[in-house]
Amino acid sequence: MKKKPKSDLSLSAGWKSLKSKSSRRPVSRPALRKKLNFGFKFSFLAVLVITGLSALIWVAFLEKELDGDSLKFSGSSIPIKQIQFSSDGVLSHKWFARWLGPVRQKSLLDIDLKELYAELLKEEQIIGAQISRVFPAKLVVRIKERHPMLVLRLKDKTTGFKDWFVSADGSVYRGVGYSNSRISTLPSLKVSPADLKLDSTGEGFQKLVGIPYVAPLLELARRQYPDFYRDWSVISYDRPSEDDPGAHILVQSKKVGKIRFAPSGFASQLRRLRYLLTEPRFRQSQFVRSIDLSHDRSVFAKI
Amino acid sequence: MSKIIGAVEIGTSQAKVLIGEVSETQTLSIVGMSSRANEGMRKGEILDFRNVASCVHSAIEAAEKMSGTTIDSIYLAQTGTHLQGMVLRGSANVASSDGRVTLADLQRAADEARRRQPSEGRSYVHHVRMPILLDGRPVEDPVGLIGQKVELIYWSIDGENAAIQKNLDVASSYSLDIDDLILSSVASSTIVAGQDVRRAGALVIDMGAGVTDIALYRHGNLAYTGVVSVGGDHVTGDLSMGLRVHEPYAEELKLEYGKALPDEADSGEEVWIIGNQTIGDRKVTRKAITDIIHVRIVELFEIISKELGELLDPKEMGGGVILTGGASKLPGIEVVASKVLGVPVRKGNFPVGISPEIAKPENASVLGLLHYALEDHGLPGESPKETSFLGKIGGFLGM
Repeated sequence: MKKKPKSDLSLSAGWKSLKSKSSRRPVSRPALRKKLNFGFKFSFLAVLVITGLSALIWVAFLEKELDGDSLKFSGSSIPIKQIQFSSDGVLSHKWFARWLGPVRQKSLLDIDLKELYAELLKEEQIIGAQISRVFPAKLVVRIKERHPMLVLRLKDKTTGFKDWFVSADGSVYRGVGYSNSRISTLPSLKVSPADLKLDSTGEGFQKLVGIPYVAPLLELARRQYPDFYRDWSVISYDRPSEDDPGAHILVQSKKVGKIRFAPSGFASQLRRLRYLLTEPRFRQSQFVRSIDLSHDRSVFAKI
Repeated sequence: MSKIIGAVEIGTSQAKVLIGEVSETQTLSIVGMSSRANEGMRKGEILDFRNVASCVHSAIEAAEKMSGTTIDSIYLAQTGTHLQGMVLRGSANVASSDGRVTLADLQRAADEARRRQPSEGRSYVHHVRMPILLDGRPVEDPVGLIGQKVELIYWSIDGENAAIQKNLDVASSYSLDIDDLILSSVASSTIVAGQDVRRAGALVIDMGAGVTDIALYRHGNLAYTGVVSVGGDHVTGDLSMGLRVHEPYAEELKLEYGKALPDEADSGEEVWIIGNQTIGDRKVTRKAITDIIHVRIVELFEIISKELGELLDPKEMGGGVILTGGASKLPGIEVVASKVLGVPVRKGNFPVGISPEIAKPENASVLGLLHYALEDHGLPGESPKETSFLGKIGGFLGM
């Protein structure tokens, strides 16, 4: 709406000259309420304006910084400077560096962590991995390995004998990085060809289902009867099931030609074995042909 | 975009506030209205400022609540016996070589008129432009016409600075600006006397509680304004003294049984003075009441007649006398007025479209303020003033 002119004769001695002398001080409750309301509105508006201006300034600053050189998102452009590798097994930083290949000029964001993880797990010796980026230029890799419990020596038609390692869960794998001294302490596994089945790739083997029954015996002997364990050279088993009365584990050692264990109650069987071998007759004997511990409290031995 | 305008009348008995919304097509809708009993005024002048301010502010606040908006400025009605009117004249020779009148000529004539200052301690309140004379002939819009001399005449009302200042302070202490001060009688005339009535010549008498405002129109232009210090409260006072009763009861008697013209039949009608028939209550004849009222009303119109003198020429009063204001509701008052003034008298009617709740005689002034605000009172050809940016910001903040 167009505002009408108040009067076309604004004389100097008009009432408007008195207006400037008027006080705006509130003299009534309604006036005070209006004043307070105005104060609230003004404060609100002021806060709104200040907030808006601050936001604008901040956005402008950010934009300037992003366009300029002072603020850098270094992860996307700096090449990886350090790879921190650790493992609970024998795999070393050197192995990982060789496995990963050259990372020169690659930044952290160039590395696909999921892909790297999947590739690591394809290695038979590795059962778990934890990979993380530490900006600006550090890659951290932690590996969990399979630990060999037995050595399985198989004859290949073209390349001759090949050693495979068997872990506690029955996995059969071609391990790397194990020292000869360590390998030499591992008992050999003698397994029926019928139990050894190729996996889907045709290059490896399926898990050996009997090993989980054998592993506790080997672990217990290694920890509590190391003098026995050191002598154990060949391990074999047959129908290793707790429910099968004919199931048994055969251990061939330097002192005893054949030790037969039942697939459960290893602790008591090993105690009986120790007791037996400390008997004067057994101590005096250079070689014991066989000891059968698989019959509860009875022990059959042939000297 | 619509605009909100406010009108405030600080009357002797009541403070009235109207808030109007003016659309782009200049259509006025009343969106807020409020009135509060006013105390602290006498004969249209503020005696107790704080009390009056509190009443007025309360009324404004209520009207704002009703309208759901706030006002930042108001049109304020002015009345009171301190107001005086006079004619201001200014003339200017037409400056252009071809003799055509320009707006600059009118401005010079207006400057000439403004040279005359009111007396010490007084300020102009309202200037109402009368016809523009071009070489002595009245013209509506002389701009573009050929002539030699243009003359501007204003009916200017001035008042005492102290009284005006109090009115301004009432508004400013509620953080309100004043759009314009408008004489109550001029505001009332705008609403009850149409342009055709004013052109025919009319006298508008706005009978308030404390004072009675008069405005005389000739040929559509304001010819005279005045304020008579007699109003409805005087009638109440007369009844209070004449019947020896407190003023609140006298006011009730006036409203319920009061008539301006006594009737013989009133002699036989008796009314209780207080009405509850308790100790002190007694009966009087209705004629006693109407006689007292009649005397005062006759006196009022006699004063008006005397003040107007020769101006009250029945030949120039084709539109007659129009009564409005709260006190004009007395039955028979137009008959009394007609007898005293010697011209036809009628009660004022409101334009069609105003709600019956608002279209009451006591609201004539405040309604007229809004109506007046819509009309263009500037010089012909003068462009309207625009609201400043700061003014708009102030409006947003409700200040």
